[in-house]
Amino acid sequence: MRLIFKNLNVLRSTINAISTSIEIKEIVESAGNNLPNLFDFSSFGVFWKEEPLLFLYQEESCPPSFTQEVVKNMIKVFSILGEESPIDADRIALQVEKRKLRPKQMIMDPKATLKSHLTLPLAVEGEILGCISLNSDQSNAFDAQDLQFLSVIGYQMAATLKHFQRFSSIKNIAIYDTLTGLYNRRYFEERLGVEAQKSFYSGTPLSLVMVDIDLFKKVNDTFGHTEGDQILCKISSLLKTSVRKKDTVARYGGEEFILILPEAGLEESFVIAERIRRLVEDTPFEVGGAQVNLTISMGISNFPSHRAKSKEELVKMADQALYDAKRGGRNKVCIYTGKSSQWTVPI
Amino acid sequence: MAPVLKEDKGGKWSSDLVLDLYSNLLGEIWELVSALIGEAILAFLFTLAIRKLGEKYAFLNSLKVSEDGISLDGAREDCRTVAPIEIHRGFQSLINQLSQLFSVLAEGVINKELFPKVFPKVKEAERIISQK
Repeated sequence: MRLIFKNLNVLRSTINAISTSIEIKEIVESAGNNLPNLFDFSSFGVFWKEEPLLFLYQEESCPPSFTQEVVKNMIKVFSILGEESPIDADRIALQVEKRKLRPKQMIMDPKATLKSHLTLPLAVEGEILGCISLNSDQSNAFDAQDLQFLSVIGYQMAATLKHFQRFSSIKNIAIYDTLTGLYNRRYFEERLGVEAQKSFYSGTPLSLVMVDIDLFKKVNDTFGHTEGDQILCKISSLLKTSVRKKDTVARYGGEEFILILPEAGLEESFVIAERIRRLVEDTPFEVGGAQVNLTISMGISNFPSHRAKSKEELVKMADQALYDAKRGGRNKVCIYTGKSSQWTVPI
Repeated sequence: MAPVLKEDKGGKWSSDLVLDLYSNLLGEIWELVSALIGEAILAFLFTLAIRKLGEKYAFLNSLKVSEDGISLDGAREDCRTVAPIEIHRGFQSLINQLSQLFSVLAEGVINKELFPKVFPKVKEAERIISQK
């Protein structure tokens, strides 16, 4: 009786730790830290299909061949449960956490094989999010009570993971532009706040590039908004693939986009902007069965070159430079100068 | 408790009686296995098994599975035109399919609990029906 109470207390604290976790790694660690008090196992695994991720929390002496067997078995079971075509193991990010779960005299044989397992789906509201698995190199290592405990842990994990999933889709709605898949203006403001603060305090350069599609209204008026939307998506994808990994590309509104280029001085940001301008100019766009050529205008502002005192001022400066590019005949990259911006003549 | 089986006028089991028999059996399986793995997972496994067999035994698609259990009420109407032996085969396949899934998940742990309590009844049902 005392043993049951002890196990229930461990179970309770495991569930509590899982439900208060804020990321999947934390869930696995919370469970992993508590599970050795409930079960004798060699490896505990959590597979989350969303990423897909497979976390293994296992005995320090677990040989790699055993780990591979566990991974293979979990994928096999999940495929049966998910009725899905076999999952490509190479696509799964595997994370292994090794801990001392056994006394020294009981370390695993280097040739140990998977002898028993309990694997349960992480099922919630009829949906399967993944699976959890307890594995052992001993035959008949688990009994009905182990299964009961594991199912309670699995139930809590599934609920927490579902919560993460919902949170992540809400987060996506909050930060992405639904049409283009670029970051939205709200996220841009937030990101600029972070980058500006970093830059203003450290003195490292920060550039903003405001982009506007030239005569876009004409496209919408001539071909309709559906075709116009397709152009927006195509140009968004050109922008996204033309910047560096650390840059942020956002839809600022309508046919306007904005790029945050951290650690980019005026010269570098000009090179990036000019490359994008030429790329758009050279790309034929399919609109309503016809091919059209489009151009963009761009305005650049930079910290510290333009001595902006706030992020808002930096945005205004880029906007002013963009205005100058438009006024100067479009299809240009202009750098903010204070009065009338410098602009380049396309070659 | 095993249902009282009665023959209809033709000397054959009516579909209602076969359904009653399996309704009790599935209820027992539900009670036992849900205590081991929880209602959510079991409902998921039942749904999975039914989906796998639904094409061959269409009446299985009208079984209602939720976390509250499995109900055969909806199947009664659909089974009017199905031969009792076919209903029996459908449920037999469902139980086999579930047993295979239990084995994939927990090797012998679930079936070890299930066999002594429920499977003699499954075998008995099979025996009664196949005698006719």
